[in-house]
Amino acid sequence: MRTLTRVLEGIGSTLQLLVRSLSHVPTLPRQWGRFIEQCYLIGYTTLPIVAILSFFIGSVLALQSGYSMENFGAKQFIGSLVGLSIARELGPVMCAILLAGRVGSAIAAELASMKVYQEIDALETMNIPPARILVLPRLAAVLVMMPVLAIIANLVGWFGGAIVAKYTDFIAIDPPAYFAALRRFMEFKDVLNGLIKAEVFGFAVVLVSCNIGLNTRGGPREIGASVTRAVVTSLILILVLDYFVTKALL
Amino acid sequence: MQNSQQTARVGLFFILGVALIWVTFETLSGGKVFKDQGYNIVAGFTSLKELKTGDEVRMAGVKIGEVEKTRLAGRRAEALLRISPDVKIKADATATIVMAGLIGTNYISIDLGTDAAAELRDGAEIRTATTPDLNAVMSQIGELGKKIEGALGNLGGALSGDGKSPGIIQKVDQLVTENRENIAQTTGNLRSITDKMNRGEGTLGKLINDPVLYTDLQSALGEIRGGAAEAKTFIANAQSILDEVKRGKGAIGALVYDQKAADDLKASIANFRTVSDNLAKGKGTLGQLLNDDTLIRDTRAIMRKADRALDGLDDAGPLTAVGVVANGLF
Repeated sequence: MRTLTRVLEGIGSTLQLLVRSLSHVPTLPRQWGRFIEQCYLIGYTTLPIVAILSFFIGSVLALQSGYSMENFGAKQFIGSLVGLSIARELGPVMCAILLAGRVGSAIAAELASMKVYQEIDALETMNIPPARILVLPRLAAVLVMMPVLAIIANLVGWFGGAIVAKYTDFIAIDPPAYFAALRRFMEFKDVLNGLIKAEVFGFAVVLVSCNIGLNTRGGPREIGASVTRAVVTSLILILVLDYFVTKALL
Repeated sequence: MQNSQQTARVGLFFILGVALIWVTFETLSGGKVFKDQGYNIVAGFTSLKELKTGDEVRMAGVKIGEVEKTRLAGRRAEALLRISPDVKIKADATATIVMAGLIGTNYISIDLGTDAAAELRDGAEIRTATTPDLNAVMSQIGELGKKIEGALGNLGGALSGDGKSPGIIQKVDQLVTENRENIAQTTGNLRSITDKMNRGEGTLGKLINDPVLYTDLQSALGEIRGGAAEAKTFIANAQSILDEVKRGKGAIGALVYDQKAADDLKASIANFRTVSDNLAKGKGTLGQLLNDDTLIRDTRAIMRKADRALDGLDDAGPLTAVGVVANGLF
């Protein structure tokens, strides 16, 4: 019962934070510097890990599908399988998980420590809403950066699959054949679905992390607890949202 | 400085992302950025089946372009094909939708056409032909299956009956049951007949078992064979005679094939007829001889007179014989 109350409390406070943040949208142009800084942290610094992870996700996918599809002579469709899997599902989800781990945790830690060390209270005392200068730039930044990260994840994943498909002995499919198969069964709609999903996940991760960070109560120990909670909640939220967004977009 | 560098990096990153999204869009949605210009031709079909934008267009198996667009045009479906500029398609070439795999990959196959035909230009329409798709073939097989099933059902019904009227098997069964005694008797008779034949009784039995009869039959057959050989020889001779006749040789040949001989014969018959007519009418010496009995009477009178004269000659002696004969005659 207590858990349920906490979950409902979390949902409610998150929605409240969202509404408060959106009410400050007109102030966004005046916060350009903060916006760029958050873009840098969320997008640019996350790129390497996204690229590495996507490359190996694509490679493993090609390897596994090649291994299993070889049994029934469907090797030439590896490109289609890898392409569709990454574009529609793995690219956005892996991006969002990395975002939760790298950015979500950082946001929660930063805001939780600001809360614990009463910086948030100080801001409120100065009549500066934390939603305006701490939450809104992050939300705007994630909305702009998430599609960029997701498309890079897609392309790097596809190339990873292509390289493995060419240099693995039992697959041995040349990149032109691989990309022809990829193109044959894919439309831009599939990629767009993935980008929309990435956008939704990224937004949810940042919003939840901000909310958990701002709602930290107690001493410095709570900072760590808030970070853990932010990451766990984000991961659960990503997978739950994944189902519903996929269903809605089909 | 730090701040502006950060801004530049974010800007670059964002532009990179937008560019990649655009490239992906162009590549997957059949944009023209990475393609040579080429030219378009239109192919109209009653149904495009599984054909979709981006599918290949092949000529003799070689990729020469791709489907740029599919659309409905009135009562038919049209595929707009983008063809490489270095490939020329003849006006009498035919396009068909070919299935490349069972999981719905299709391409348009264009044949080579003839050398003499003109080339298709941009926007021209290519001739098309419809190929039966898998569904049509499957439905035909299904119908065939139904027919076979119906035929087998009818056969089964005929054999075993449909509940109301008895089937063939039941009828045969009934027939056998009803005529069991007759059949037993008939088979008994047949058995006694075959037993007799086996024992060599009766004509058939002897024919089968008696070697003498066989020898007789053999000799009779030999004679018949000899007779047939003779008949053959006779027919050959007759044939050779007929051949001779045909060639106009011999009397009959001359008669049949020689016009002059035939005319002569006709004239002879005519003469003969005249003579016989004269004879019948009593004309001429022979005619009179045949028809006039006075001659025979005169002859008889002379003979009588001669008889008497000879009698007188016996009496008068030989010296007066000449005088008596002369006297008797004159």
